[in-house]
Amino acid sequence: MVAVLERGALPTQAEFHEAISNRSDRWFSACLRITHSRELAEDAVQEALLAAWNKRHQFHGDSSLETWIHRIAVNAALQLIRKQRPGIFEPLEPDEAESADSPEDDVANHDVGDTLAAALRHLTEIERVCFILRHMEQWKLKEIANEVGTNEGRVKQALFRGVKKLRVKLVDMRSQ
Amino acid sequence: MNEIGINDDTLTLYYYRDGLTAAERARVQAALERDVALRERYEQLCADLGGLAAPEPVPAAPDAVARWHDSIERAARIEHQRATPGKRAFHLPSFTWGAAVAAALVVGIGIGSYLSGNQVPEPSINDGVAGNELPAPASPSATFARGLAVHLQESRQELAGLPIEASSERAMLLTHMIQQNRMFERAAVENGSQDLARVLRAFEPILVRLAAEDISPQDAEALQAQLAFELNVVLTKYRRNASEDAGPI
Repeated sequence: MVAVLERGALPTQAEFHEAISNRSDRWFSACLRITHSRELAEDAVQEALLAAWNKRHQFHGDSSLETWIHRIAVNAALQLIRKQRPGIFEPLEPDEAESADSPEDDVANHDVGDTLAAALRHLTEIERVCFILRHMEQWKLKEIANEVGTNEGRVKQALFRGVKKLRVKLVDMRSQ
Repeated sequence: MNEIGINDDTLTLYYYRDGLTAAERARVQAALERDVALRERYEQLCADLGGLAAPEPVPAAPDAVARWHDSIERAARIEHQRATPGKRAFHLPSFTWGAAVAAALVVGIGIGSYLSGNQVPEPSINDGVAGNELPAPASPSATFARGLAVHLQESRQELAGLPIEASSERAMLLTHMIQQNRMFERAAVENGSQDLARVLRAFEPILVRLAAEDISPQDAEALQAQLAFELNVVLTKYRRNASEDAGPI
């Protein structure tokens, strides 16, 4: 266990290492849920750590260092999938068919490995991301809209559709 | 939708305490208190959403965790090197170094003859130019020459240690190399050393190709070898000039 070091004005290198040791699985998991790719999730955490280190003078201790990095990592994951899959968050028609799963999705879902992960497979990208950010990451709708690059109304619609699909799927799964 | 116009979408926003105005929230609250059917629907929604807890974290691969630790180590080391220029001022990713060199050029160093007038010898990849010790600078022009030599030398060393597989670390290193190279190129142009600028400019397309995400490991390896060779040529040239002429290079 890393010793608690004297805290100066900035988070220390030791505190970063301690945060990695204690919380990187959670950062990675959050990024994995968003990207559906282990490689992208790993890259997101890597980028987040470097960004956090370089901007650590902006860390004022309002939240824990781990929480601060978590937020940066989720942002990095969003940016990575937007870069790798342009148009991923374009608005979809409400009755648009569910997206087909790729082999990569299967790997990611196997990793997450629970009922929710299975249900999330039936959501479109924007529905899944909006649900994850609102429900699991506790982001505000406005924050999601800003980071996803859309407006709050579209985020709401994606969330509503996602919640409806999840509830239906969960009822189906429970009845099986 | 029930008779007072509150549907599941509104209840969803009410559940998350987000996206409703205070007045809308108060209206939902009042409706829940007086409408049993609505309250039952809301309780079912709460049960459904409440059961959707985040799953247990997925363990990250040990090598990824090691890489994350290493990235902090490297970032801290680079920062330390920037903060202590007197001990080792010329680490490749250091922007401080580039700024120092640019400042040296501003005071009027004549570098136009750096690469002019001499035929470049055919170097060997394994010749002695990769040594870490370079002559101590004796003048502003010598300072620049030393900085340039270290830039080229450390570029070659960084290239040798560059990860073959595309990664954020690799991209970051190459981006820094490109930025540093541009800085030297601009400085050379501003000081009338077109030959030097041209040589440095020729490195950039190779660096950019190396930084491409879709480059194959084979292509990356070949490009790195090509670049290492060309860096070696310039370094050999530098060494010869330095030994032949103690004055401005």
